[in-house]
Amino acid sequence: MTGAARRPTRPPQRAKHIATALVVVVVAWAALTVDVKIERLPDLPGDLARIFSRMFLEPGPEWSYFGEALDWMMQSVQIAWLGTIIGAVLSLPLAFFGAKNITSAVVSNVVRQILNAIRAIPEILVAVVIFIPMVGLGAYAGMLAIGVHSVGTLGKLSAEVIEGINPGPVEAARAAGGRPLQIQRWGVLPQVLPEIVAFWLYRFEINIRASAILGAVGAGGVGEALVQSLIYRRYDRAGMLVIVIIVVTILIDTASGWLRRRIIQGGGGAPQGDPEHPELVETAPAGIQRP
Amino acid sequence: MTAATAQRSARPSRPPRSLIGPIGLAVFLAITWWAASEEFGLNVDIPRLFTNLTRGAGILAEFWPPDFSVVPRTIGPMLETIQIAIIASLIGCALALPIAFLASRVTSPNLATYLIDRGVLSVVRALPDVLYALIFVAALSIGPLPGILALILFNIAVVAKLLSETVDGVDPGPIEAARASGANRLLTVRWAVLPQVLPNYVAYSLYAFELNIRASAVLGIVGAGGIGNLINEYRRFFQYDALSVVVIEIFVLVIIVEWISIWLRRRLV
Repeated sequence: MTGAARRPTRPPQRAKHIATALVVVVVAWAALTVDVKIERLPDLPGDLARIFSRMFLEPGPEWSYFGEALDWMMQSVQIAWLGTIIGAVLSLPLAFFGAKNITSAVVSNVVRQILNAIRAIPEILVAVVIFIPMVGLGAYAGMLAIGVHSVGTLGKLSAEVIEGINPGPVEAARAAGGRPLQIQRWGVLPQVLPEIVAFWLYRFEINIRASAILGAVGAGGVGEALVQSLIYRRYDRAGMLVIVIIVVTILIDTASGWLRRRIIQGGGGAPQGDPEHPELVETAPAGIQRP
Repeated sequence: MTAATAQRSARPSRPPRSLIGPIGLAVFLAITWWAASEEFGLNVDIPRLFTNLTRGAGILAEFWPPDFSVVPRTIGPMLETIQIAIIASLIGCALALPIAFLASRVTSPNLATYLIDRGVLSVVRALPDVLYALIFVAALSIGPLPGILALILFNIAVVAKLLSETVDGVDPGPIEAARASGANRLLTVRWAVLPQVLPNYVAYSLYAFELNIRASAVLGIVGAGGIGNLINEYRRFFQYDALSVVVIEIFVLVIIVEWISIWLRRRLV
C-alpha cells in the first residue's frame, strides 16, 4: 500500500537544465549586444503611434489614390500568378524525379537536396542576386524570382504526395502494357493532381505576399509604390496602399482557400498535412490536431 | 450464364460530364491572359524574355569566384541577423501565447474577444514582414530595431494562428475535470489546456525561429539591420563576387538552423 502511494522518481533533469542554460546564455548575448539604444525605447510607442496616425487617421489615407494603389496591387497579383505558373510547370517533373517510388532512392535524394537548396534562398535574394542583374529592374525579375523560389517548396510537397499514392493503378497501367510515360500519366497523375493543384493555389497565396515585398528591391508591384510613398513622406498614400494590400490579400486568400478545400474534397483524398506550413509536416508532434 | 457474363463485361455507363473542369480551365486561361497581356498585365514576351536571359547570363559569371576576403566584414552583420531573429522570436512567441488562447473557441472568454482576435490576426497576417520593416524604418530610422519589430508581428501572426488551431483540437476531458474541481478560466487554461499544447507550442516557436533567420537575412535590404545592409551595398556597387560570399553565408546559416530546429523538434515528440 505504501509502495503504491509513493511518488515515482523524477525523471533525470540534467539535459533539461543544460538546454535551459544554453538558451538563457544565447538570449542574453543577443539582447545585451544588439545595436539597439535602450534610452530610445521609451520613445518607441510615440514614434509608432505618430506614423500610424499619419497613415490612417490624420491626414489618413488619400482615398483619391485608391485607383492607382489598386493598379499597383494588381501588378503584384499578376507577378504572383505568372510566377506561380512558372514554379508549377518546373516543379511537376522534378516532383516525379524526387519521389522514391517513381525513381531510385539515389535520384530522388539528389533531387530532394536540390529542392531543399532552392527553398533555403529567399525570393528577394533570388531577385537581387540573379534576375535583376540578368533582366534588369521590373516585373520580369520579380516573376522569375518567384517562379524559381516556388519550385523548391512545390517540388518537395508534390513529391511527398506522389510517394503517398495507391500503387494499384500503377500496376494496372503496367499490366495493360503502358509505357513509362503512360504509366505516370494514367496511373499516377490522376491520383495526385487534386492535391498538387491545391498546393499551387496555396503557393499563389504566399506568392502574393512575396511579390508585394519584391517591389522594395525594384522588382515590380505594390512594394515599389510603398517605398516611393515612404521616401517622399506621403504617409497618406502609404496608408492607402497598406489598406489595399491587406484587403486584396485577404479577399484572394479567402477565395483561394475555399477553392482549395473544394478541390481536395472533390478529389476524394484527405489532405495530407498542413498546406499552410508544409515545413512543419515532417516534424509535427504526434497527436497534433488539424481542423 | 452467358447473359450474366455479357452484363458483367459491359462497360459501366460514363459518369455525366462535369462542367467544373472546362470552366476551371477557362478561368485559368482568362486570368493568365489578363496577367500576361500587353494592355492589362505585364506584357510578357517569351522570345524577348529568353534573349534577355541569355544576354544576362554573362553577368552571372561575375559572381564567380567568390571574393572571400570580405568574410571578416560580414561577420558583424551576420551576428546581428542572428540577434534580430533570436530577440524577435522570443518576444513574438511569448506574445503569441495569450493571443492564441484568445483566438480559440475552446479558451476564448466570449464570442466578441474571439472574433476580434481572429480579425486582428488575419489583418496582421496579410501584410508581409518586409513591408512592416519598410514602415518601421520610416518611423524609427534604420537599424535592427525596425527589423525586430517587424519580425515580432510576423511571429505573432504565424505562431498564434497555428497554436490556436491546436488549442481548438485539445482533448476536452482535462478541461471538464478542471472546471468540475472549481478552477476558473485562467487556471483551466494553465492546468488543462497548456500542458496538452506545450510541445506543439515549442515546435511552432522553433519553426518560427527558422523562418525568422531567413527573414532577418533579407530585412536589411530595406534598412532594417543585419546582413541585408551589406547585400544592398554590394549590389549597388556591382561587387558581385562579394555578394556571392554573402549568399553562401546566408545559405549555410539557414541550412544549419534548419537542421538544429528539425532535430530539436524531433526530440520533442
